[in-house]
Amino acid sequence: MIESYDESDWLAGGKQTVYDHGSGAYGEAFPTLSGELSTTHNTGDLMFSSTFVTAPAPKNSGLGPIFNAVSCASCHINDGRGDAPADGGSSASLFLKVSEPGQDEHGAPLNVPGFGSQLQTKAIFGTQPEATVTVSYTYETGYFQDGTSYELRKPTFSINNTYILLPVSTLISPRFARPVFGLGLLEAIPEWEILSHEDTYDSNGDGISGKANYVWNIKEQKTSIGRFGWKAGVPSLMQQIAAAFSQDIGLTNMIFPSETSFNQSQYDHLNDEKELSDSLLYATVFYMKTLAVPARRDVQDPDVIRGRQLFGSATCINCHVPNHRTAVNVAFPDISNQMIYPYSDLLLHDMGSNLADTRPEYLAFETEWRTPPLWGIGLSQAVNNHSYFLHDGRARNITEAILWHGGEAIIARENFRKMSAADRAALLKFLNSL
Amino acid sequence: MKKIKTYTLIGLSIIILAACKKKNPTPAPADTTQQDVINSLATNVDVVAYNELAASTSSLYDAVTSFCASPSASGLTICRDLWKSTRQIWEQSEGFLYGPVESDNIDPRIDTWPVDYNSLDSVLASSMTFSEVEINNLDDALKGFHPMEYLLFGQGGTKTYDQFTAREKEYLIALGLNIKTLTQDLSSKWSTATANNYYNYFTTPSTSNPYYHTEKDVYMEIVNAMIDICNEVGNEKIKDPYLAQDPSLEESPFAMSSLNDFTNNIISVQNVYHGKFSTDNLGLEDFVKKYNLSLDQNINTKINAAIASLNNINGPFSSAIINQHVQIQNAINAINDLKDVLESDLIPFVQTYVK
Repeated sequence: MIESYDESDWLAGGKQTVYDHGSGAYGEAFPTLSGELSTTHNTGDLMFSSTFVTAPAPKNSGLGPIFNAVSCASCHINDGRGDAPADGGSSASLFLKVSEPGQDEHGAPLNVPGFGSQLQTKAIFGTQPEATVTVSYTYETGYFQDGTSYELRKPTFSINNTYILLPVSTLISPRFARPVFGLGLLEAIPEWEILSHEDTYDSNGDGISGKANYVWNIKEQKTSIGRFGWKAGVPSLMQQIAAAFSQDIGLTNMIFPSETSFNQSQYDHLNDEKELSDSLLYATVFYMKTLAVPARRDVQDPDVIRGRQLFGSATCINCHVPNHRTAVNVAFPDISNQMIYPYSDLLLHDMGSNLADTRPEYLAFETEWRTPPLWGIGLSQAVNNHSYFLHDGRARNITEAILWHGGEAIIARENFRKMSAADRAALLKFLNSL
Repeated sequence: MKKIKTYTLIGLSIIILAACKKKNPTPAPADTTQQDVINSLATNVDVVAYNELAASTSSLYDAVTSFCASPSASGLTICRDLWKSTRQIWEQSEGFLYGPVESDNIDPRIDTWPVDYNSLDSVLASSMTFSEVEINNLDDALKGFHPMEYLLFGQGGTKTYDQFTAREKEYLIALGLNIKTLTQDLSSKWSTATANNYYNYFTTPSTSNPYYHTEKDVYMEIVNAMIDICNEVGNEKIKDPYLAQDPSLEESPFAMSSLNDFTNNIISVQNVYHGKFSTDNLGLEDFVKKYNLSLDQNINTKINAAIASLNNINGPFSSAIINQHVQIQNAINAINDLKDVLESDLIPFVQTYVK
């Protein structure tokens, strides 16, 4: 149980907390940045919002030949979430990760021959996209214990128009674009701090495990703890962002020097130089590393305080661990030694078969997902004009997101389902204060 | 997506030295509340701008359609003039890029730059139909203002009315329709006649409002948007081509209207501050003046200096970056001075005085 009111948790990002609660709330720079660092941040900002075009071009050249998006910002709209696909439609902000059964020598999922690790659903003119992906929903009604009904929608993804035959054994995991602020602070949480919450075999018997993923760090050529991505399958911001440039936009770079179409029939054999310079990659990484966290709102509202207590008593807090202290970092004082409130343990948890995909990733099973941070969740509407959550955007609001919790989180979900309408409202008010 | 904040409270303690310079023809009533200013900005700036934008894109679409039906030199001039005047309204709305224009991703669909010329040529050479669905599916770099500009003006703005191919005409009409539809959508999202309109959320903050919990949230949104556009103009749109000494990096190179774009962006900041789009009403200024006359004067001075510095550059922008370094650097400095006063003085002012 958490204490009724923690005086400092409105400072969600420690000293890197900002007071913008509007549509740009996720896109504020660290308030402590100055001079050259802010110039680098601005350069990265420009890269983040730059639209890439077909080569050769004087500006932003190198798109594709196959890709999912033309810019970072076209999926991470306003540095936030993407557009969720409508029933029967497709979405540019959601893609499917794919793999063959099995693992490579580092434990990574195996690429699908001819398709790689991700389905690129767009292509430059004259090249065929690898596939089109559409989603349809089936709806089911459920009831809170007080008799109030709710409706959940479960997505089914259809893969059509593949440029060659997609092997039937292909394993699939849908991924919805997440907000990109606060990532430098999450990266600065010491590994031992994350591991202190680990309980892989539930030896304390609370029904909650918590498991770290261990993944291949390409830059350092070693296995590292996974921190980013829906299954904690990526060790560092650098690798996450370099992979997105490569896989999502089609820009080769120092971490991923080969085109995503390499070894495929549509490969253009234009692999002579990196399409994204090292300095611009570093600047983009620095940009995301130094995006600040919006302050909590309404912290002294009695309903919010009540909701915060319920968040503890309903056991949500067991995985959505409120706070961590970042490591001391003499080289970069801006992220050093800060108490932050992401409301996540960054560990994998079994979320039940209803949320499962079919694609394991390193140590993460099909049913296992990383606890997503909750900070800023109440600003989703302001930033992106929707409140669609979870890895495939199926939940249309926070209530549905909670109701999709299964596996280890059944107890927390049932606690929520048993709450009175007033308590549910208080809990939601607390979450919306984050 | 933006800005570095250096909160210096020092600005607040500036002693009032000079009398207020009257900007408003009618002085604000002494009992002007912070809510009055929000209402006025929503009604007289945001809604007016988006209504004018939707009306203008509609005229542009009509003009393009009739030009393509029977091309003539005068018809082309009408289209180009309408493109420029529509563009002026849009650029004058970029000082308040919040709400549906951003959260519904309308901005990138109508104003993405650079244009993907290779793909654009491929699209024209292909047999793709230019239906609304197909245009919607195109990437952002192939639709909106700038591909229209490229088609209407051509390289160096030298295209003549008889040089339009059948495919170009089809594409142009489809682009015109797409931009008309998107801007009408934007205007309807702010319209009080629409259910769940943004106007309502913007003007009635409360803890149950999904967008704004307090009036301070709304004020911060307004000021942050002003800061953002200063940063974009001063540190990106002007600075990038200038530092690279590369005219090919210029936005709006075919209509040669980049300098107008920059000036209109700063006028947009001024409009928000004064509460005017077509007519003068209550603006942020009227709230600032209640508490800090010298800050008000400082902001007005910086806005005027930024606009003057842009007017000092002799166009077109593509040659100015090569042969007018002093004027360009002065403009960059003046716009950053404006950004600094908004960041360092107006933000702390809002945090202090807006309850």
